[in-house]
Amino acid sequence: MSLASCLLLAAALFCVGLYGLLARRQIVAILLSIELMANAANLVFVAFGHYRGGALGQVFAVFSIALTVAEVAVGLALAMLLYRRHGDSRVELASEMKR
Amino acid sequence: MVALGTIYFWVCALTAVAGALSVVVSKNPIRGAMGLLLLILSVAGLFLALHAQFLAAIQLIVYAGAIVVLFLFVIMLLGPAASTPNDRRGLFARAFGGGLAALCGAAAIALVASAGLAAKHPFPLADVDPSFGGVDAFGSALFADALVPFEVSGALLMVAVVGALAVARGRQGVASLTRSEREVARAATPEPDTAGGAGVYSHEIHAHEEHSS
Amino acid sequence: MNIALALSPLLVVALGALLLMLAEAFSPRQGGLALGAATVLFVGAAVAGGVWMYGIERLPEAASLAPWLLLDRFGLFFDMLLCLGGGLAALLAGGYLVEHGIERGEFYVLILFATLGAMILASSGDAVTLFLGLETMSLGAYAMTAFRRASPRAAEGALKYFLLGSFAAAILIYGFALLYGATGHTDLAGIGATAATARTPLLVVGAVLVIVGVAFKVSAVPFHAWTPDAYEGAPTPATTFMAVAVKAGAFALLLRVLLIALGDASWTSWAAGWPPVVATLAVLTMTVANLIAGRQESVKRMLAYSSIAHAGYALVGVTALMRDPTQAGASVLFYLLSYTVSTAGAFGALILCGSHGREAVSYEDLSGLGRRHPAAALAFSLFLLSLAGIPPTAGFFGKWFVFKAAIDGGLYWLAILGFVNSVIGAYYYLRVMVYMYMREPAAGAPVALPMRSGYVTAALLVSALFVLALGLVPTRAIEVAVRAATLGAG
Repeated sequence: MSLASCLLLAAALFCVGLYGLLARRQIVAILLSIELMANAANLVFVAFGHYRGGALGQVFAVFSIALTVAEVAVGLALAMLLYRRHGDSRVELASEMKR
Repeated sequence: MVALGTIYFWVCALTAVAGALSVVVSKNPIRGAMGLLLLILSVAGLFLALHAQFLAAIQLIVYAGAIVVLFLFVIMLLGPAASTPNDRRGLFARAFGGGLAALCGAAAIALVASAGLAAKHPFPLADVDPSFGGVDAFGSALFADALVPFEVSGALLMVAVVGALAVARGRQGVASLTRSEREVARAATPEPDTAGGAGVYSHEIHAHEEHSS
Repeated sequence: MNIALALSPLLVVALGALLLMLAEAFSPRQGGLALGAATVLFVGAAVAGGVWMYGIERLPEAASLAPWLLLDRFGLFFDMLLCLGGGLAALLAGGYLVEHGIERGEFYVLILFATLGAMILASSGDAVTLFLGLETMSLGAYAMTAFRRASPRAAEGALKYFLLGSFAAAILIYGFALLYGATGHTDLAGIGATAATARTPLLVVGAVLVIVGVAFKVSAVPFHAWTPDAYEGAPTPATTFMAVAVKAGAFALLLRVLLIALGDASWTSWAAGWPPVVATLAVLTMTVANLIAGRQESVKRMLAYSSIAHAGYALVGVTALMRDPTQAGASVLFYLLSYTVSTAGAFGALILCGSHGREAVSYEDLSGLGRRHPAAALAFSLFLLSLAGIPPTAGFFGKWFVFKAAIDGGLYWLAILGFVNSVIGAYYYLRVMVYMYMREPAAGAPVALPMRSGYVTAALLVSALFVLALGLVPTRAIEVAVRAATLGAG
């Protein structure tokens, strides 16, 4: 187990999340993809924290987890809201809004 | 002979990637959430191997315990709407996403393999002293050095609570809509709120209600 | 004691947010409290603290908070700017929410919390506090966007904003993770010290990811896809807040990162640094946004694209940081100030022009307004002129300083492109005035009916005062901005 392998794994998770974000329309799936990316960043922090020594990397990771929780709470509330209004829980990220 | 640590890493890594892939490709969001759970467990395993014991525990408690459960709640509430069949974007968007992801992956491989990094950083992780990453070391870092961000995170959690409440609480009439929006609202599908438990288990709920009444 | 003093703007806003939250939760009936006025009171107190500290020679000592929070003049300037923006948005909300029947106290609490987050973001000298501030600001803005819960468009805009915003945050956090790995620091100064000596591939990739993440937040083209929908779907006071405070906060982040973490000469050179990247973003942002803004039928959406275009002009000033950080930084700060008051005023005038059920949305809604309601039309015209950059308004000097900084930095072509763009931009601002003064509504067509509200009038008066004052005597404000842009000089 080495730093390089951890970094590569994190990069792989990040890329998979990126693909999911761009290729899916379902809000829950997109949110899950964002979670993947957040986890990848945490892994990078912890791996570098171990490599660098000192608690800084881990402290950042724990704040990052708190941040993700807050984000998910608001995001899922928004998903519920959209479902109530549209009866649908899909979203087009790239297009102009329906009018 | 392959070291035990290497095997451990590969088991965790492959599970993590499998979980990540199932998040991205599965049509059923429950399966996606389970994929995330798998990923979280294996990342927690990696945290353990990286001497971040406390963080591994946090990862399990917060991610697996709170986030995944929250996701499952919402998936249940959304019901069938959470697993619409026509979910993937068009070919172009998928190709773009795949291309971008592949590009990032290639960049990462090039980065890790690049001479600059390899020469400067001896890849095997150094040995650390056993207290590293434990509750003691972590707690003193969090509450002594990083006290300011710890206090600031209070504001973050507070705004998340107020924001989620402001978005999701109760109902609101259509009085606030502009002309064009009112048309959109009328054209939209019948108010799902009034449809009751429009979830996966809606039949059961209705059956139960009928039974009890 | 010193620390409490130095933190007083932040503490006052935080206290206000908590008190308002409790007051709203325990008040017997909804809408019985003058929460708009209370919000303005708290941000006003914060501004007063900021102004007072800005005037004294030595800022209160707060070294024990470093590197998490840097309580320097740069941070103080943004504290005042953000409180001004937040206060104007709260005033507008006081009129708008009541008129349209969606008055709930959470909106003001969210404004205060989001302002607090932006202030923390602008003062932070470390990636950890930076993220916490950024997310506090963004989460507040997401929730405010979805505040008209009955509207499908609001929900869709908010969700788009949320998803792309979280995506940007994930990119930014990954970028800082790589920077941490490359340098061993998460504080910007530490990153800057290491980045000055050794440039590793890891560092470069981290810096690129950070810049991309910030570009999302300032909604620079091509990372702007969320902006028009979110701005259009949000209730107009929330739009104002996003266009004003959220954008200013994102620019504070950009300036801090570029000046402190990547401020070394090796990174600010044209050949091997960030200036070409920022210049490209600036040109794309100005041009694309201006071209699309001219084609809009909705005035609100036009103003949304206009706010993207203005981010482009500000990025011209950011590019000029490569030569003279102090002057160029000051030009960006002045630009943000003039943009804040002009944009808040323009959205405020749009709010004023519509009343319940008869909101002003399209150009046609405004036709004939100059004859029917001259005061509202006059206020709108003033802010549009300022946005177009026509003297004697704040917008003129804002553009003047930014383009002058670009010329001083030898970026003639960038200044010329900026000038050409502001001429294109003038077209769609003046088009609104043409409709207001030279068109009459078609017979029987629904017309917008201006509302009456002391809150909105007050917000317009404050903005108009700033627009004219900055347009007639900009010297004092630019001195303040120069002192603020001298980073690290206390």
